[in-house]
Amino acid sequence: MIRLTGIRKSFGKDEVLRGIDLEVGKGEVVAVIGPSGSGKTTLLRCVNFLERPDAGEIRVSDLRVDCARPSKKDIHALRRKTAMVFQQYNLFRHKTALENVMEGLVVVRKLPKEEARERGARLLEKVGLGDKLDAWPSRLSGGQQQRVGIARALAMEPEVMLLDEPTSALDPELVGEVLAVIRQIAKEGITMIIVTHELGFAQEVASRVVFMDGGVIVEDGAPAELFARPREERTKQFLRRLAPEYSI
Amino acid sequence: MSLDPSFMWEALLKLLEALPTTLAITAVSVGCGFLAGAAIALVRVHRVPVLHRIASVWVTVIRGTPMLVHLLVIYAGLTLIVDTLTGYFGLGWNSARIPMIGFAYLSFSITASAYCSEIIRSGMLAVDRGQREAALSLGMTTMQTLRRIIFPQALAASVPNLTNFVIGMLHGSTLAFVVSVVDINAKAEIVASTNWKFFEAYLAAAILFWAMTILLERAGGAVERRINRYRKGGVV
Repeated sequence: MIRLTGIRKSFGKDEVLRGIDLEVGKGEVVAVIGPSGSGKTTLLRCVNFLERPDAGEIRVSDLRVDCARPSKKDIHALRRKTAMVFQQYNLFRHKTALENVMEGLVVVRKLPKEEARERGARLLEKVGLGDKLDAWPSRLSGGQQQRVGIARALAMEPEVMLLDEPTSALDPELVGEVLAVIRQIAKEGITMIIVTHELGFAQEVASRVVFMDGGVIVEDGAPAELFARPREERTKQFLRRLAPEYSI
Repeated sequence: MSLDPSFMWEALLKLLEALPTTLAITAVSVGCGFLAGAAIALVRVHRVPVLHRIASVWVTVIRGTPMLVHLLVIYAGLTLIVDTLTGYFGLGWNSARIPMIGFAYLSFSITASAYCSEIIRSGMLAVDRGQREAALSLGMTTMQTLRRIIFPQALAASVPNLTNFVIGMLHGSTLAFVVSVVDINAKAEIVASTNWKFFEAYLAAAILFWAMTILLERAGGAVERRINRYRKGGVV
């Protein structure tokens, strides 16, 4: 479904990704956890070329992109197969909630406006914002904005959804409503890679957890396994620091 | 000192004859300046190789020299070049065939391009980087992203400065008298030369300019309100 091979990325002298191999099967929900600076967000952004990897290969279904020599067409195709949910939501500020969801459908997928409007409304309904279709992003709470962001990504019917710390910018009381939506779409079998700090949520929703540190994948396993019996010392340390309730 | 109100009124009516000239110079310089300015801003923000250096030199030079100098240099330089070329190729005409207002159009457009590019550039820089990333992540092309996401927001952020810029170009258009274009200001001089009531004539011109400026401010305010609906929430 999606396979990353030998992904490397440096910012100047700083090597942020030191050869990442990761395979995600159809319908899998992979949570990527790790300390800040471990490269997890960069990895996610490399998948749709918001950051350009220096080396490696990205495969999404039948598309294969050589990261060292990507063509414009490759990058565009990759972006059409993926959709991203941002930490800061990044809703188009000059467009209403509904227009935000419609934008990609009309401009990229070339859907007729009416059809896009219908589908957009349905998706907003689904994330619990059926009454906010015409609201400007500036009038929505963080949790509502992020749910629009999720609807906007879902609208593109991507092969894989990339969620970059979708709840990190939210007030604590708003985290729940966003996680509920992600939980719901996870159940529908949509393939997802989620970078998150919500370990409890990762354990509950993810079918696999990947622990990253220092630009490499340290450990990769089923959530119950990884949280209860981490094999690597670095994983143990991280879990002890972040979630004492998991440490043994 | 006495003011002759009836002559002022008379002068005002006569000045209206020159109104289209003033408006034309302003509209052409603002229009061309805006298009060229947008292109310059784009080249600079995206750091297009080579071009962005030329663009930044252009902006420094044009902004570093007065509008009147642009007009005089274009007037003197262009006539020289045109006459040399037409003479060389034996085209049988010369720079005298260029209408005087053409020099004003060209030189003020050049002035406007530099100022306008800075306004648009600062507007583009005010648009959060995440907006571009969101658009690209949906699969939009760079052009679609610019046209649909970046420019609308950049222009919305620039409206107050653009209004100011248009007013500046309106007032600056009075310099056209130097190349004997009869705009409102030059007309005031002509009107007064018959009876030496310069004060009244200039006051009439001032009133006319002030009225136009108020209209522009109003229009700018209306555009601002309309375009900024999406900021109503006050949350940045």
